[in-house]
Amino acid sequence: MHFITGGAFNGKRKWVKKHYDANHRLWLSAYNADALTKPSHETMPDLVVLEGLEKWIYTQIDTALTPDIHRQNIINQIKHWLAWENADSHRKLVIIGTDISKGIVPTDKRNRLWRDITGWIYQDLVTQADRADVIWYGIEQTIKHNEF
Amino acid sequence: METGKLIFVTGGSRSGKTSYAEKMAIDLGQDLEANLHYIACSDSIDMEMSERIARHRRDRENAPVHWETWECPYNVQRIARHFSKRDILVLDCVTTLLDNYLYELMMKEAEWLIDCLFDELTSLQEASSVLIVVSNEVTQEVPFKEQLIKKYQYILGSLHQKIVYQADTAYLVENGLPICKKGAAE
Repeated sequence: MHFITGGAFNGKRKWVKKHYDANHRLWLSAYNADALTKPSHETMPDLVVLEGLEKWIYTQIDTALTPDIHRQNIINQIKHWLAWENADSHRKLVIIGTDISKGIVPTDKRNRLWRDITGWIYQDLVTQADRADVIWYGIEQTIKHNEF
Repeated sequence: METGKLIFVTGGSRSGKTSYAEKMAIDLGQDLEANLHYIACSDSIDMEMSERIARHRRDRENAPVHWETWECPYNVQRIARHFSKRDILVLDCVTTLLDNYLYELMMKEAEWLIDCLFDELTSLQEASSVLIVVSNEVTQEVPFKEQLIKKYQYILGSLHQKIVYQADTAYLVENGLPICKKGAAE
């Protein structure tokens, strides 16, 4: 799995499209209100891109639940994708999540919870990822790259 | 005419980005035996801004080299003809320039603003030996609901992408330390 992050409007989508120039890919975007949950009965191309992870996380926030429960729920859903990817060496999962961590503490509880959970999930994803990049105005900084 | 070098310097507020840009200009000025120019884009409309401007001005006055200061809140193209290949320019900064177009000139159209501001910078780059452009990091926080702020981030982010693409070198300054993101460090 390749995790891509960076600030909003920094060219993350453009970078991924250039880097993974495939005719056959499934591109799910939370910005288009797509659910990023893995469809259960569908055959799909070998390349899957999940865009707008932070937006998808936001849709799942329930202020009555603890951050740990949220984190576990979301990671469990992503595990289905990772299992799909691991089942065949030709498959590739790319996840794009915007960095929302560098402003002042949000006054709204939901936004605080959202920012915290998103940060933890990103840490979990980088741990799981084979490769992780931060995109800064179109330029990547590879912060992790596992050797095979 | 040979196009000058373009150097992009960005960072959070109080990160030391202006000081770093000025230091780089002074070093390059000595190497190239060039004159130094500071293009200030902020309009000193309030006390707080006036103090910030005064602080930066004091810093330059205390510097061991001579700085020519140009107050230029918009239409920076019009001063381009005053420069030559013997001049090094520091433009401070893209965000105040954008603020002035949005809130003083009431320009609203995002794509037009991106092109217009990029052309402004290109005109200075073409006229000079080196143009150092200073800007701010404003796109890494919890997204705002307000469309105006989102639009602002879109314009600035898109503009930064174009500037970084054209730049010879690009730096992100964190806590006073420059991180070279593109090109070789000066």
